Amino acid sequence: MSKEIVKEEAPSSSSGVVPAESRPFGSLRGVQWRINLGILPPSSSIDDLRRVTADFRRRYAGLRRQLLVDPHVPKDGATNSLDLVMDNPLSQNPDSTWSQYFRNAELEKMVNQDLSRLYPEHESYFHTPGCQGMLRRILLLWCLRHPDCGYRQGMHELLAPLLYVLHVDVERLLEVRKLYEDLFIDKFDGFSFEENGVAYNFDFKKFADSVEDEIESQGNSKQVMSLYELDPELQAVVLLSDAYGAEGELGIVLSEKFMEHDAYCMFDALMIGAHGSVAMADFFASSPAAESQSGVPPVIEASAALYHLLSIVDSSLHSHLVELGVEPQYFALRWLRVLFGREFSLQDLLVVWDKIFSEDNSPLDEVSDDCEHFSFKLLSSRRGTLIAAMAVSMILYLRSSLLATETATSCLQRLLNFPESINLKKLIAKVESLQTLALVSNISSLPSTFVGAYNCSKSPINAHNVSSDLVCPKTTLNLVPDSYWEEKWRVLHKAEEQRQNSSEKKTSSGKKKWSERVKFRLSRTESEPLPAIREKCKLEHTLSVRRSLLEDLSKQLGLEEDVETGGCFEVSNSVDHHPAEVHGDGQNCANKGSICTVEDRCDDGSGAVVSEENSSIFSEPPSPPSSVINDHDHDHENDTEKSSVASNLSADDNYVHQRSIPEDLPQPVSLPPEDVYLNSLHENGSSGKMVSATKEQRQLSGKFQWLHKFRGSIVSEETSDKRGGISEAANSPNHDSKRNTVDSFTAGASSNSHPTNKGDAMDQNMMDTLKHLGQAMLDHIQVVESVFQQDQGQGGSLDNLSKNIGKGQVTAITALKELRKISNLLSEM
Amino acid sequence: MVLVLAIGDLNIPHRAPDLPPKFKSMLVPGKIQHIICTGNLCIKEVHDYFKTLCPDLHITRGEYDEDSRYPENKTLTIGQFKLGICHGHQVIPWGDLDSLAMVQRQLDVDILVTGHTHQFKAYKHEGGVVINPGSATGAYSSFTYDVNPSFVLMDIDGLRVVVYVYELIDGEVKVDKIDFKKTATAPSAH
Repeated sequence: MSKEIVKEEAPSSSSGVVPAESRPFGSLRGVQWRINLGILPPSSSIDDLRRVTADFRRRYAGLRRQLLVDPHVPKDGATNSLDLVMDNPLSQNPDSTWSQYFRNAELEKMVNQDLSRLYPEHESYFHTPGCQGMLRRILLLWCLRHPDCGYRQGMHELLAPLLYVLHVDVERLLEVRKLYEDLFIDKFDGFSFEENGVAYNFDFKKFADSVEDEIESQGNSKQVMSLYELDPELQAVVLLSDAYGAEGELGIVLSEKFMEHDAYCMFDALMIGAHGSVAMADFFASSPAAESQSGVPPVIEASAALYHLLSIVDSSLHSHLVELGVEPQYFALRWLRVLFGREFSLQDLLVVWDKIFSEDNSPLDEVSDDCEHFSFKLLSSRRGTLIAAMAVSMILYLRSSLLATETATSCLQRLLNFPESINLKKLIAKVESLQTLALVSNISSLPSTFVGAYNCSKSPINAHNVSSDLVCPKTTLNLVPDSYWEEKWRVLHKAEEQRQNSSEKKTSSGKKKWSERVKFRLSRTESEPLPAIREKCKLEHTLSVRRSLLEDLSKQLGLEEDVETGGCFEVSNSVDHHPAEVHGDGQNCANKGSICTVEDRCDDGSGAVVSEENSSIFSEPPSPPSSVINDHDHDHENDTEKSSVASNLSADDNYVHQRSIPEDLPQPVSLPPEDVYLNSLHENGSSGKMVSATKEQRQLSGKFQWLHKFRGSIVSEETSDKRGGISEAANSPNHDSKRNTVDSFTAGASSNSHPTNKGDAMDQNMMDTLKHLGQAMLDHIQVVESVFQQDQGQGGSLDNLSKNIGKGQVTAITALKELRKISNLLSEM
Repeated sequence: MVLVLAIGDLNIPHRAPDLPPKFKSMLVPGKIQHIICTGNLCIKEVHDYFKTLCPDLHITRGEYDEDSRYPENKTLTIGQFKLGICHGHQVIPWGDLDSLAMVQRQLDVDILVTGHTHQFKAYKHEGGVVINPGSATGAYSSFTYDVNPSFVLMDIDGLRVVVYVYELIDGEVKVDKIDFKKTATAPSAH
């Protein structure tokens, strides 16, 4: 009789950890994983399961016989008809059994080395000779079967948990057996025989009594539970171990005898990937895969996928890591190759693998009109995205400690020593949200190269919205008052207007002003009708530009606030300011990243000046934000959520702003199309960086103007240490108005922008503006002095005195005002 | 599964310059676990060469060996077998089976490896085995010039030993195989 247990398909992943009810073999991980890995059919009856299991086991046994060579045993029963010249132990012939034997022996030596170091903390199981023997044979056979892969360190760590879960299943079976012995009685043909061995319980003598006996014994037998009264889980355990089902003993799904066979099947399925997109064997390959677009080995590509996902989710952390030079494969290699086996304890790892295996491995087909293809193989299946999301969530878990480090080695230390006691449920919950994001983000519109380039995602806005929906269902988007951003924008806008005014006055060189470039981009997006992708790319690109503007804004914020002010700014209203400071922090870090890229791009001398200056500025701001973040260490999730919220906000606000800005564009300036195109390649955060990198030099000149803006808006002005004694001024025709000094700055800046190199221009700019400032100060001082001299000189007439005093006072006062302005400017720099 | 090389009577440099190249190509390091050398190498260079093949080297003294520190007899145990080595020039008459059996009983070994005759021999005798690997270089012996280069490789596996004989006949390597099984040792009576 066939017994049916209907299994539901494992649900798709958007609900928490896979709930137990949907996995009828929930407690039997071995069976469940075999189903997930594609070895056992997911539906249907026990009989089918048994048949499939038996097939696999037969196959393995055949493989073992074939490949595990014993040269003593004559092949195929033939006795001494071997050609001894060929087949002697010293034979150099590679085909002889002896050569094969020696090759196997070498492989075995490698495997043994690894096995002896496997899971030393669980050595009671893993170091028993039986277990080690099984592991050794499985690995040997797999490597012999796949000679192109060979044996790599780490394969044993993938295999060990598989064997372990099978072992656990068998132990469960033994438990159940102990508890419910009756069910395991050998039921020949469905009848159970009494212990006294009598087949027919009929005693002719005591017929009358025996009737009563029978009734009694029937009553007794009723106390024995029948199979169907057990809960389904136990039922499953019993049925799977029935020796009389299909295929007899070979078909017992939970069998100790065939643990090796089953483990081999699971290992094979995991490594090959069963036509899915995640094949662990790829991660061990050292050469690029045949069909990869990039010429790098798959594991490097997968690590880049991780960073790609991280850059979408948390660009500040990403840029921080990139800037420190932490390449993803340094830590991701181990994570991916052993599927996080080294990062979690065994029990935690089983939970993680439950999650990973419950995802489907088939490649997702995303149909799109432009025949886009996946840039990252890792992200092209649900399982792959889950793995990527897992890795990213682990990185995010360590976010605060990573941001606090300044060197690559300490970053790597933290990443490679993942903490032991973690909140696994939280981690996994986070993983799911990230996974959806990862699924969306994997579409590229252009072929990609891996050095520093990121793929433009088709709908980054959507991605952000999606992530915001999933990541923060609880938090509202109104953490930051809307007025905050608008204020920023207004201020920014004023600065732009000023620049426009000033630019009308000066003779513009071949160099494009940064603001003009901004306007150009905005105008291009508005004016040109573009195909769908381009538009979105541009949109995203303009958003990036806006974001870069905001970045600079916050950079200024960071500048103005010294440690003390930084403190009071941040401590005041914790909740509201979290996203601000996180964002600010993020921006600062982003800018740090951009400064680094600037370093790469500028010539040595000028670049050094620029970066040195900027790094000195930036070294202060990140510390207060990070210190505050450390205070809230317990709330990593919120931080990251809020950062993504903040980025959402900025994205949304960018969107808003972008609509209103184009009205103000007077001068579209032509830019080489490659520039824009190149920029469209970049992602939000990073393109903001890239774009801002190219115009970083110009930006610094703009900075001066903004400093004036912010003087008004910042409550407390501090005079901290300056570059002592550097005289900075711009030659200005009239010193009376703020605007004019602004103009003078820009004039000075622009007049010095003529020299060939941008970097040199920057350098020149700095020096010249400093000089000009100094000049201006001197002039002011001279004016004051002359006024007083006049007063002294003109001792005589009262009228004159009063007038002159009045005049002198006025001029003196204005001059002093100017002086003060300049000194404030200096202080703010 | 232990591979033991039994080799001897090379008489380098007095009677032969070197091993035949075909033999040399077969003898590569890494496969052989022990080397048993009956003697008459004669010089240190040959000793060093064998050391490169396998670090576990056992040599007994032949009459022309230049290193006088080699012992006359040696016994060792590999797996379940006890092996004895003796050059054989001490055993008179040279190559006589009964006299060699006396040496075997004296040394109390299962397998006795001797040389000096420059001729390959493998006898099963009274529960033991006597093996003569011959001369690896084909050097002339005391009574004949017609010597084929030969040596012996023993594959000891539990209670069974498989003897592979490698001979260079007419420029070709010929291999032969002999199986010996050790009867289970009777417990010693008290």
